[in-house]
Amino acid sequence: MKILNKTFCALILALLPMVAAAQIDGEVIKPRSGKFLLQNATVVTITQGVLNNTSVLVEDGKIKEVGANIAADEAEIIDCSGKFIYPGMIDGGTKLGLVEVSSVAETVDYAEIGDFTPNMQALTAVNPNSVAIPVTRVSGVTTVLTVPSGGLFPGTAALINLNGYTPDQMFAGFKGVVMNFPSSGRRGRYDRRSDEDIKKASEKALKEADKLWENAKNYSTLAANGAELEYYPEMEQLAKATTGELPLLIEVNTASDIQAAIKWVEGKEAKVIFTGVAEGWRVAEAIAKAGIPVITGPIQALPTRESDRYDAAYANAGKMAKAGVKLAIRTDEQENVRNLPFFAAFAAAYGLGKEEAWKAVTINPAEIFGLADQYGSVEAGKTANLIVADGDPFETKTNILHVFIEGYRMPLSNRQVRLYQEFLERSPGLKMN
Amino acid sequence: MKLSRTQESGTWMILIHAKFHVPLKKRNHKYMKKTTYFLAALLGLSIQIASAQVKKGSVLIKNATVLTITNGTLENSDVLVQDGIIKKVGQNINAPKDVTTIDGTGKYLMPGIIDAHSHLGLDVVNEATAPIVAEVRMKDVVNPFEVGIYRALAGGVTISHAMHGSANVIGGQNATLKHRWGSTDPADIIMQDAPRTIKFALGENPTRVHGRGNGIQPRTRMGVEGILRNGFNEAIQYKKAWDEYNSASSQKNSKALPPVHNERLQILSDILDGKIIIHCHSYRADEIYMLINVARDFGITKLVFQHTNEGFKVAPEIAEYTMGASVFADWWAYKFEVYYSTAYNAAILTENGAITSINSDDAELIRHLYHEAAKTQRYGGMTDDQALSMITINPAKQLGIDEKVGSIEEGKQGDLVLFEGHPLSSYAVPQMTFVDGVKYFDIKEDADDQRLKISPTQMVEEVTISTDHEDRCMQGTESLFETTNSLFLLNQ
Amino acid sequence: MKKELLRAGVFCLLVSGWLSSSMAHAQSDPSGKKRITDTYAITNATVFTAPGNPGIKATVLINDGLIQDVGTNISLPKEAKTIVGDSLFIYPAFIAGTSDAGIIKPNDPERPEDFVSSNPPDEIAGITPWRSALDHFSPKDSKIEDLRKTGFALVQITPAGGMLAGKAAIILLGNENSTNLLIQNTALVASLNGSRGMYPATAVGVMAKFREVYDNTKLTSQRSEMYKTVTGLKRPEITPTYSAMQDVVTGKIPVLFSAPSELEIRRAISLQKEKGFNLILTDLEDYEGVIDVLKSSGSSVLVKLEIPDDKAIKAQKEDATDEVKVLNARVKDAYNKALAQAGKLEEAGIPFAFSTVGVKSENIMKALQSMIENGLSEKAALEALTTNSASILGLSSVAGTIEKGKMANLILSTDSIFAENSQIKHMVVDGYIFNFETKSKKKSSKDGHGEQPKIEGNWDYTSETPAGSSGGELSIQKEGSDYTGTITYDDPSGSGKATSPLKNVVLDGSTLSFSFDITANGMEITVDVSGEVSDGSLEATMTVGEFGSFPFKGTLNPTLIATK
Repeated sequence: MKILNKTFCALILALLPMVAAAQIDGEVIKPRSGKFLLQNATVVTITQGVLNNTSVLVEDGKIKEVGANIAADEAEIIDCSGKFIYPGMIDGGTKLGLVEVSSVAETVDYAEIGDFTPNMQALTAVNPNSVAIPVTRVSGVTTVLTVPSGGLFPGTAALINLNGYTPDQMFAGFKGVVMNFPSSGRRGRYDRRSDEDIKKASEKALKEADKLWENAKNYSTLAANGAELEYYPEMEQLAKATTGELPLLIEVNTASDIQAAIKWVEGKEAKVIFTGVAEGWRVAEAIAKAGIPVITGPIQALPTRESDRYDAAYANAGKMAKAGVKLAIRTDEQENVRNLPFFAAFAAAYGLGKEEAWKAVTINPAEIFGLADQYGSVEAGKTANLIVADGDPFETKTNILHVFIEGYRMPLSNRQVRLYQEFLERSPGLKMN
Repeated sequence: MKLSRTQESGTWMILIHAKFHVPLKKRNHKYMKKTTYFLAALLGLSIQIASAQVKKGSVLIKNATVLTITNGTLENSDVLVQDGIIKKVGQNINAPKDVTTIDGTGKYLMPGIIDAHSHLGLDVVNEATAPIVAEVRMKDVVNPFEVGIYRALAGGVTISHAMHGSANVIGGQNATLKHRWGSTDPADIIMQDAPRTIKFALGENPTRVHGRGNGIQPRTRMGVEGILRNGFNEAIQYKKAWDEYNSASSQKNSKALPPVHNERLQILSDILDGKIIIHCHSYRADEIYMLINVARDFGITKLVFQHTNEGFKVAPEIAEYTMGASVFADWWAYKFEVYYSTAYNAAILTENGAITSINSDDAELIRHLYHEAAKTQRYGGMTDDQALSMITINPAKQLGIDEKVGSIEEGKQGDLVLFEGHPLSSYAVPQMTFVDGVKYFDIKEDADDQRLKISPTQMVEEVTISTDHEDRCMQGTESLFETTNSLFLLNQ
Repeated sequence: MKKELLRAGVFCLLVSGWLSSSMAHAQSDPSGKKRITDTYAITNATVFTAPGNPGIKATVLINDGLIQDVGTNISLPKEAKTIVGDSLFIYPAFIAGTSDAGIIKPNDPERPEDFVSSNPPDEIAGITPWRSALDHFSPKDSKIEDLRKTGFALVQITPAGGMLAGKAAIILLGNENSTNLLIQNTALVASLNGSRGMYPATAVGVMAKFREVYDNTKLTSQRSEMYKTVTGLKRPEITPTYSAMQDVVTGKIPVLFSAPSELEIRRAISLQKEKGFNLILTDLEDYEGVIDVLKSSGSSVLVKLEIPDDKAIKAQKEDATDEVKVLNARVKDAYNKALAQAGKLEEAGIPFAFSTVGVKSENIMKALQSMIENGLSEKAALEALTTNSASILGLSSVAGTIEKGKMANLILSTDSIFAENSQIKHMVVDGYIFNFETKSKKKSSKDGHGEQPKIEGNWDYTSETPAGSSGGELSIQKEGSDYTGTITYDDPSGSGKATSPLKNVVLDGSTLSFSFDITANGMEITVDVSGEVSDGSLEATMTVGEFGSFPFKGTLNPTLIATK
């Protein structure tokens, strides 16, 4: 029989402030911009230490002021006593917005046909109304890199904030050309190619990459000389990566591939970021020495090899950081980007440490994307991407109380929450009346 | 093969794995002495005899925060396991002679985690070729060498429910495994004292494989019900035929001819007789409700729903008529029938009184079920005991083994995990895992390479970069589809 | 066609032994293929009559396909053709527990229009217990010759197929004019292999289906028994599957279960324990971990006569990283353990034999040598190849040793059979002689300077026989790695010189051997010459048929070499 504990339910609902605000049928809660004063919080700035009894003033989408005694003026005051303010988290690699239901091909928009399609823009295919977006941001993830996948140069990734009705409203100021570095590893359990076939395929692909890169460089030189070149959108886009105008995100995972990629990058003008880097711990020194920043993940993953220690993937980030690699964390997820804080917690627990883990989802990705002046910390002048929580947002017990994205106070409801509200105590229950 | 699952590249690669036995670590266990067996035999302790080969250990863990699950949290307490059984829970327990003591100061001790949905340790997951394959037994294809078993132990999981896949409306009979890593005899990792369970599956997977893949029923959720009702009615007739024969043949000069033996219908008949617990892969509320109705019509009460993403919509019915639901903490949207999911599912089910467990169905996820359970605190504010119950006593109930495992109680089997940090903290790290008082995981002492079997012809180490969640529920159904790519998309 | 032929043969054997007696009748043979005698004496060879017995110098007398006598003072019948065995070693010929020699994989049957993958006809689903290995047997398959060349005379051939492929048969690798069939329907061949895309597709389905077939075979026979005696009963449904399974269920024939790996071995044994049939485990590749299980199961064991390839071991590099070195060491260890498994079986006292299905004949000797190097005794190896396999196949009374009354199945080798450079020169199968070319193998740097003396050129030779001193020219040429040549000698018919081509010219270290045929009084005699070469001179022994051995000396003519 039903043993619903009403008092207890009330308690849960109280912990969801936006939800608790008695909702009237048909009422829609929208993001709200304005001037907000988040008062008397413990502010974890990331870059400036932890500030107790500190307030944060949000205005015009920016963090106007961080300090102890900020005048309220006409600002809406949000009492944050006993609460914590953090910068919004940044996921360094997702497919969020590019896919709605993975098994329904009609809703999958991250992989275009062709091996050389750097001109394909992830930003174009982002669905601002994806059900997964509001599900994600309530966890405190406010910004994600959304990345196309597929061939050798599958397209151009874009950084988006998780608020806005058009892709342009969401765009957060960073784009990068994606390259899948030819892999000598198996792509998964169903990859039945022989070792030799894999090796051959990767060698062939690398030659192909060299050729394309050389062409793109020439394209760029000729274009810079004012040559009128034939329409060639793929080359035009890759050319931007050869000069460093657009960073190059190289997806690379196995130890030998990483070493090959480091070598491949040597002497190139490109601004290179490595992504994935599952076996980075095996060659961490070399990555650090090359000075190439890394966006690693998923953290919650199996070891790449049967013989590896069970926690190889959990400990990977920590080992790379220890060797001096500049590090950000990604989920490589779509509908479950909301797990970014938990991935960070695992990395923290298995060697990265809490402080570095926080940086890996805030200021580090901001720096890697060249946007450290706008994102990644709670500092005056930066974009107001903020979260207010009653504890450490990496802990599941913690409740995220407020999320601000570009100064908008975001509703903490989403379809999953609404289903909870409707079905926690169903009416009719087991029987009609 | 796990496969183990070495990828195919020559027969030797797959078939020859000369046993390589390294002492993985010093184990704190004692073998049950012969005299004890003799005594046990005299006392008629048949269970102990049945698992006579299985190692039983003794250990005393002192001064830990003991999360008993059924009896609250005991600060600074000790737990004594002797010969595989929890003998004493309390304070100031002295170690009997020859029993190793482990200092649990500052650490958390909880019962071994139980995963009610896994495919670890199986050489075959799907006999996907018929809508009903009740006759197949996963116990036939248990593979104790799969390194995933060790990795699950490293996540505190001591028992997993090794299930048949979800390609059939009525799949095969599952095996409940105890993670006695290092055993080479499959029988030694099968929990011999666990009741029988069987896999059912509704919705997209069976309709895709049979209806769309092979052009036979079921192609729709109507057809799934049809297959179920046909099967059970045929089983009733089958049983009747045998009952009639058996009673007739006991008469003198009987002219009765024995009917044809049909193991498939025999198993369905056993289900009707309440001898087997159904674990049904299901997602949508309508199909869950359908099976509840079918079960009620046939008088079946031993029914657990698996995945059950829309279980929250029929939580009162699940609570009233079934043994509850085993769900993911937050997986959704990987296929259409899980698009209308909510991570609050477990909480809604629990609040409505349904027995609820959190499962993995995945070789990675199984390594942090404590963390998955913790997500019910974010999504629905479950208490510590409620959350931890979902990976201990509740799955134990659903597997019919709650009298033996699932909580720290005197008399239960000595399956324990020692954590650094509270297991519901995202920073928790399992330190040691015990099965029957034998330590099978120790974060400090264990060698990195835990493989039990090495191929003598292995050229280079396989590197597999993890892709999206690969679902073993549909493993082995490749041949039924045109491309393996379409299988990728099957997912859970 | 083949099937009919073979079955007819069996019929004849059973009825009256007509086949062999008919051979004894005088008949003309315009093809010239008929042999002139079925009596042979291999004289003065080193004979190993059974595994473990020391070699004895003896003569083996063969007649009518049987070993008539073994001993030192045997009076040889006049019709006995002599094979000079002085330098030969004789062993009982090998018996393979299973073999695919001559087996042609049958085409998949056509699917009926109403085919349903969830309930396919038995024949399509790999359930064909009624099939016989003989149904798909071709005596012309080169594998037969290959296996004979390796020392095998008797093999149990197994049909190719699915989970219940069919019945095995025991055949001789003998003369092409015979059916060579010894016994058919010797065992039911089973495996855990499913049928792709239909039920049962996997090991788990196969095991369930096996149980179902087994149980219903029992019930069917129960019904049939009643039907015979009781009137008014519904006609029992007989299917080819249940009929063919009958002999298994009654224990008349064993199940020959293919179980390459440790876990498959356990699975086959668990089925056996459940159902109680007689079990022969075959194709064992990985069994080191289940030797105790094998022992306690009491099943017969056929180990695959193959060792893992050493590509991975050879690819291991000295300059590998420490991490890789550790991993390599584990592979190496696994490899060594795989090689040592057979020795472990011997240690455990399990009398095993070998299966050769899927094994390349040319690798067999290397596999045996490798097993011996890694702990298997030569005696146990020989037992596995002869007496154990005879016992497992139920042939102990007719084959497996060199004894009076047993089948004349012999190996005649140039050295102790497992010695590295030993070669099989003749095989005797069913009393028929098969000759093979022996090739010189370089004794790999045996004493640091493995250089072989030059033998090409023209030699003058002299020989001493009771008929007096004689001589002639010996001419040897090198062709690739082989030698050819001619020899001249006093024409036995009494007029001048005759010339014969040399056969089997082998230079083994400094030992030169060759043979040639001479015709004397319408009789063809083989002359074998073998001796030591050093600095252009040859000190040898010449064996002339059964007439005896005589000194043979030669000198290489330097001038002739120079003019060449």
